[in-house]
Amino acid sequence: MITAEELRKTLTIKGVRNVRRGMETKDDAERGMYRPEVRIGMERGRFLTESYKMTEGEPMVIRRAKALEHILRNMTIYIQDHECIVGNYAESPHDIFMPIDMTWRSFRRAVVEEDGKSLLDDKGKAELQELCRYWDGKSVRDIQVKAFEGCPQLDKYWQYEGTYLWSHWYGLGVPDYEKLLKIGLKGILAQIEERLQEIRNTIPYDYFQQKNFLEAAAMSIKAVIAWAHRYADKARELAGSEKNPQRKKELEAIAATCDRVPENPARTFQEALQSFYFVHCVTRQIEFVSTGIGIRFDLCMGPFYKKDIEAGRITRGDALDLLKRLWIKFEGQGFAYSQTLSGIYGGVQTLSAMNIGGVDRDGNDVTNEMTYLVLDTAKEMMTLQPNITLRIHKGTPTELFNRATDVIATGVGYPSLFNDEALVPLLQRWGSPLEEARDYAMAGCVYIEIPGKNGHRRMAGYFNLAKCLWWALHRGINPKTGEQYGAPTKDPATFKSIEEVMDAFLEQVRFFVHKMIQIEEVTRSVYEEYLPLPFLSAVTKGCIERGKDLGSFKDPNDGICNYAVAAGQANVADALAAIRKFVFDNKEISMKELIAVLDKNWAGNEVLHQKILTQAPKFGNNDDYVDQICNFVHCKTEEIIEEIADKYGARYHFDGSVVSTGYSLGADTPATPDGRRDGDELSDASLSPMIGRDVKGPTAVLASCAKIDPLKGYNQLLNQRFLPQFLKGANKDVFVNYLKSWRDLRIPHIQFNVVDSETLRDAQKHPEKYTNLVVRVAGYSAYFVDLSKGLQDSIISRTEQGF
Amino acid sequence: MNDGKGLIFNIQKYAIHDGPGIRTSVFMKGCPLYCKWCSNPESQRAHPEIMTYDIRCISCHRCEEICPVNAISFNEKRRQIDWEKCDNCFKCSGECPSKAIERIGNYLTVDEVLNEVLADEIFYRNSGGGMTVSGGEPLLQWEFVAELCRKAKEKGIHTVLDTCGFASWNVMEKVLKHVDLVLFDVKHMAATKHKEGTGVDNELIMSNAGKTAALVRTWFRVPLIPGFNDSPEDIRKIAEFARSLHIEKVSLLPYHELGSSKYAKIGKTYSMDGLIPTDEEKLKTATAIFESHGLKVEKER
Repeated sequence: MITAEELRKTLTIKGVRNVRRGMETKDDAERGMYRPEVRIGMERGRFLTESYKMTEGEPMVIRRAKALEHILRNMTIYIQDHECIVGNYAESPHDIFMPIDMTWRSFRRAVVEEDGKSLLDDKGKAELQELCRYWDGKSVRDIQVKAFEGCPQLDKYWQYEGTYLWSHWYGLGVPDYEKLLKIGLKGILAQIEERLQEIRNTIPYDYFQQKNFLEAAAMSIKAVIAWAHRYADKARELAGSEKNPQRKKELEAIAATCDRVPENPARTFQEALQSFYFVHCVTRQIEFVSTGIGIRFDLCMGPFYKKDIEAGRITRGDALDLLKRLWIKFEGQGFAYSQTLSGIYGGVQTLSAMNIGGVDRDGNDVTNEMTYLVLDTAKEMMTLQPNITLRIHKGTPTELFNRATDVIATGVGYPSLFNDEALVPLLQRWGSPLEEARDYAMAGCVYIEIPGKNGHRRMAGYFNLAKCLWWALHRGINPKTGEQYGAPTKDPATFKSIEEVMDAFLEQVRFFVHKMIQIEEVTRSVYEEYLPLPFLSAVTKGCIERGKDLGSFKDPNDGICNYAVAAGQANVADALAAIRKFVFDNKEISMKELIAVLDKNWAGNEVLHQKILTQAPKFGNNDDYVDQICNFVHCKTEEIIEEIADKYGARYHFDGSVVSTGYSLGADTPATPDGRRDGDELSDASLSPMIGRDVKGPTAVLASCAKIDPLKGYNQLLNQRFLPQFLKGANKDVFVNYLKSWRDLRIPHIQFNVVDSETLRDAQKHPEKYTNLVVRVAGYSAYFVDLSKGLQDSIISRTEQGF
Repeated sequence: MNDGKGLIFNIQKYAIHDGPGIRTSVFMKGCPLYCKWCSNPESQRAHPEIMTYDIRCISCHRCEEICPVNAISFNEKRRQIDWEKCDNCFKCSGECPSKAIERIGNYLTVDEVLNEVLADEIFYRNSGGGMTVSGGEPLLQWEFVAELCRKAKEKGIHTVLDTCGFASWNVMEKVLKHVDLVLFDVKHMAATKHKEGTGVDNELIMSNAGKTAALVRTWFRVPLIPGFNDSPEDIRKIAEFARSLHIEKVSLLPYHELGSSKYAKIGKTYSMDGLIPTDEEKLKTATAIFESHGLKVEKER
């Protein structure tokens, strides 16, 4: 059996390093955006461009299908010596993928500037320049900027200012893997043909659009089937010259598998894994470039494993071996981030979550041997990808808690835990039928989906609640420029009660959320028109039946659709509590004086600053005074976001996942009344207390979090840091029971960093000794050494829980 | 004076070394023993006092201005306390904006403490935890502790008493009625040595240990103090004593210096400066000796 160590040696780590924000040191700038051996894969962009040039004037959906076909037919395919599960998205294992059809400016800039100059050689840079000339004016980013032109509102508010960060991010829809494994692409093709036949009879009013879509979907499916056969041929060719009999056998198995799937239904565990990986690879890295997995892995794969075991085809060891080889495929993936996005996704390769546990559609616990195999694989591999999310419910076996704790104790940062007891009712409230609500899964780091359903989901961006409060304290006027940028709320000097402060704050939230979502909606129309995804649509529920691309409709039963990520919830709660206590309760300072101190970044009144830090109640300490304010901020923010619907009438919701924007948006947030200084980070997730201010231990943190209504917003993330010894030996039981209490408190999520500060500080000093040290950043883990000094410091300063 | 209130210097949540499961430990202030190695010197005096944290001081001089007995002064950057003059009026700690001077010890009612304890009930339920009353020495405030434990038990909370055993049996018995488990501290079997290390004889303690073990589920807690009680001979004697009382479990607390810096913060001097923390070997030897006496051993690091 191949070892984790052997597999790791084959790997090029492609995590992006956060540049721009937090590049405090010269070293940070010099090490570049990626590790030195990483390159940008050019083939996808090259063949996509070739195809686009040949298809100008044709319907967009047909052009996309033809482009996919052209890429899959011409791209370099390879099988590395250690591989048993195959499939590659770029010409070499060192390559990251680049969505040139989405945007190109930032990549061109990155490879010219210091940050990313190692990503391409001179020839590659010349080719990129050439490709960019074609895409100038044609990438969706260009089209969207053109769409904004001439509208002063859009022009003014799409630019980054610090109150929100609107980003290009496509949906993370999860393919219907269960259907794929059951009927194969051939089965789906038959459904498309059937639907085509049907519309030829009924001739609906949108016959032309449906016909184009269905033909494009059929074309893309055939292209993927043919692509898989290329791997079969490649494997046969390699097997012919292979001297090692063991490897020869493996190559023959690869050939047989790739001839079979994804075209046909999967019969064995290996076929199921291979079929899944091919489709994952095409939908996430070739047809278009996005991220996320979202499969409920134990639910989908468990039955194939069981059948193989019962038939005596494989052993548990064989299955573990295959899983490890699948894992290394995920760990080898990487995405070309722009410099700006690196601030949000510090340390990220891709954000790919594998889901285990939870209940099935009928409410039964899904735990099976595959659940444990996933944990065993994760524990052995210690890779960042795939990130494991574990669903917990009342019936989760204690054994699963124990085994999950063993993995958490390694410090790898996962599994992160999601609570069915909170999330299933939430999805129901949002309109999902119970069976579908029970089927939820995380696709990206934490982005929730119902697998197989409607991929047209997108977040509207990240917005900064702390900055909204700051605008409320400045009547929406930028004090530096005098410009009215936010809502013209009342003069804060006239505020007579904390309620008036809250009202002004909520007014700013409403103002900015509307701005951000307007921009998002315009962008969605651009995507809908210019970036149909015929293959992903073909493997998504509802598209064939409607004859529509997934970007062109919305399933009315789909509870999850739109979201806006809000950062700084705990900071606003702490700030409002401080204002209430010092301005309105104790009357120690007036609103006007407080704002004057804030504008000077606390200079001249360190006594007040210290008093606010030490005496004002802080979220995370089980203090009702501030916890109730936090729940108020949370619920009201959700209500404001919910006021807004997309063109299908689907509401937007509050998402608390924050990623690493607590750090990057914080850099553009002046001093706030919670005691933060100008530029300091914000709390690292919506349920996380502000860093370092939860001083009453981990039970008080949970007690505070339990006061935040779990049925309002979602992705209420909670990062906790524990010392390693608290998960080991006799303490393990205690930790497991702590998790059970977390479940009983119906807190939606929790995840852990398990590492002591000493180790992290040593890793800062001697990065060479810690190249594999993994930490949890936000909804994802990252290699510590790939983070900037500032983000490293932020992780170290998270309160260590334990006694 | 205290209207039935208890003097408490800390309530620690998620305490996992003070009995089974996840617990809340209530630390009572005041102790009849003065163990030289005590890692919580602020627990010893039976009255509130101030504790200083120089690192937090922002040199605003407010404490200096407000001190009615002129016990606080500043030289260059550092604030100095004249501990002889300080009469614990707590004006400085009330005024200090950055908690560089803090009051240690507050009088709380049984219900106030109980509410804090009940806040974590859900964690006790899943983990088999509960409340531990520790100190200082809880039995110094036995009436309060008995009432606290009684009410806790009434609410279905598992109760643990962490005691040095230095109290009249009469008093102890009254508290033990409401206690599910006792963590009984045993420091030394030899009377003279015991007095040298803790300031008191061990005769009463030993006799109470026997009576306690006969009445309530009891674990021993043994701090391993280098050069004081960590010789195989000393350990063996404690082990024999534990076996004779059919003690269920022994918790070993290796000596550490983490408390030493606290002494200066409350105007005391640490007499064991330079003592090296218990090493792994010593801990292993001690564990082996206890185990050879048929005792279950738990190490607390």
